[in-house]
Amino acid sequence: MDLKEKVVFNERIGHPVQGLYKVVLSGEAAKTARPGQFLHIQVTDTSDPLLRRPLSIAGIDPERGEVTIYYRIKGKGTELLSRIPTDQYLSVLGPLGTGFSIPEKGELLLIAGGIGMFPLFSVIQAAQKVPVKIKVLWGGENKDFLDSADLNLLLQKGLDVELSTLDGSCGEEGLVTALLEKYLADKNTQQLLSKGLLRAAACGPNGMLKAVAGICRNNDVPLEVSLEERMACGVGACLGCVCTVRDANGGLKRKRVCKEGPVMNGQEVVWDADI
Amino acid sequence: MQTFNLETDLAGLKLKNPVITASGTYGFGEAYAPFYDPSVLGGITVKGITPLPRLGNPVPRLAETPSGLLNSVGLENPGLEAFLKNYLPELALLDTAVIVNISGFSLEDYALMASSFQRGCGIAALEVNISCPNIKHGGMAFGTDPKSAEEVITAVRKETDLPLIAKLSPNVTDITAMAKAVESGGADIISLINTLLGMQIDLNAQKPVLANTMGGLSGPAVRPVAVRMVYQVYQAVKLPVIGMGGILTWQDAIEFMLAGASAVSIGTANFGNPLAPVEILEGIKAYCNQRGYQSVKEIVGLAHGQKG
Repeated sequence: MDLKEKVVFNERIGHPVQGLYKVVLSGEAAKTARPGQFLHIQVTDTSDPLLRRPLSIAGIDPERGEVTIYYRIKGKGTELLSRIPTDQYLSVLGPLGTGFSIPEKGELLLIAGGIGMFPLFSVIQAAQKVPVKIKVLWGGENKDFLDSADLNLLLQKGLDVELSTLDGSCGEEGLVTALLEKYLADKNTQQLLSKGLLRAAACGPNGMLKAVAGICRNNDVPLEVSLEERMACGVGACLGCVCTVRDANGGLKRKRVCKEGPVMNGQEVVWDADI
Repeated sequence: MQTFNLETDLAGLKLKNPVITASGTYGFGEAYAPFYDPSVLGGITVKGITPLPRLGNPVPRLAETPSGLLNSVGLENPGLEAFLKNYLPELALLDTAVIVNISGFSLEDYALMASSFQRGCGIAALEVNISCPNIKHGGMAFGTDPKSAEEVITAVRKETDLPLIAKLSPNVTDITAMAKAVESGGADIISLINTLLGMQIDLNAQKPVLANTMGGLSGPAVRPVAVRMVYQVYQAVKLPVIGMGGILTWQDAIEFMLAGASAVSIGTANFGNPLAPVEILEGIKAYCNQRGYQSVKEIVGLAHGQKG
């Protein structure tokens, strides 16, 4: 759980303006990692920044002993991470958290917004090992973003992928939620649904997840969502990264994104909880 | 390397060594158990408990600052009844001093909490939180007025025979006045400091980062303030002091002990380095051994020269 992982790759991918990076770590984490879990990475030996960076696992290769993580430079922590050279060892806690469940049959519908695709890469990797059909809906800002974020890698896998961009430069113009509504309205999808053979998993900004949860609720699609929240300890001690959920009796309670999540039942989450 | 005595006696609260963990940073003792056996520590302080369950504050609850962390968790906890039923039995099995942090919104709340814990119930001491900055009523409101602080401690003292630790807020002009007040109220030990009230503003959103606007600042950024307050309180009262506030390393812990802390509590450091309390304990041992001390007590308050 408290590991030293060797950086075997850490480079910017795609267009510089997107600020996207890919890091591959070699060590023990790959042995136990599950899709949707995260690593809590220490990016500096100094106390500024003080905290580790929680980053979702995008690829797991137990044979090579490697995990792949994609990240976008957002602040000081990820900027420092981007400068770490290969062959350096990083202090890593993990794999942490509760990940996605992979159905054994039927269809798994993946819905991603922006860099929310990255944790779903690990879901695809796991789902391709079982007889489940994978359908991907991915929305991004523009073609440059999708290309930079390894769209080609996805297409090379021969998956059924539908894309949307805000400016229409790739796929449908608009939001990924429009793709979702259209897909769920399809009669073939309705047949799958009626047989209970469709499940969905989503990752992206909170506004998108809220909309996806609403659409899935209206169509009775079981949904898992991967949440993001500011995190300190990563192991359930500090209660900094909670989300609000509604329990079976209708009462509200908190769940820890780092421990009970980051993957939660999409229909349990209360999206606008100002409490 | 010669062995020396790590035992620490805080006015009747006996610890196997002077390293404990701070409330709100260690869950109920389970969070860091996968990393090491909590029983190696002198004690652990569990998450603050209130009479009724609390959902705490909305998110975002955290904001990182230069060498510091702002939090506005807002005392999320399962409440007294659930704590006694679901957590205390496991905690009582640990071979370390378990300290329960209690909070309330009225004198009656504090008295009720205290009456539920007595010697033999499985815990070693009560830490009375009169210093939480993240709740609107109670908490820090009691901890910034000497008269109120004394009243709370007096009310709690009547209800329990456990050693009482008064946790002080640094958000005051004169920390020694607060220390003297809780000493008069019947506290056995003083712990300090709780977090400093602070805030951070998001430049893009142009509004406070924390949903609760303000939060409590912890981490190494507050350490000089904490060391100063431990130094002042050591001179002002006879009660033993547990020092905390940004201790990341054994060197930081030694600094607090030289300032007058008989024990140290590790909080925010746990988040970055789960093994911090264990490494700090080892460092204290090595420091004392290298300097030929017989007991860890010998270094407490050395920065003052002769006390009194």
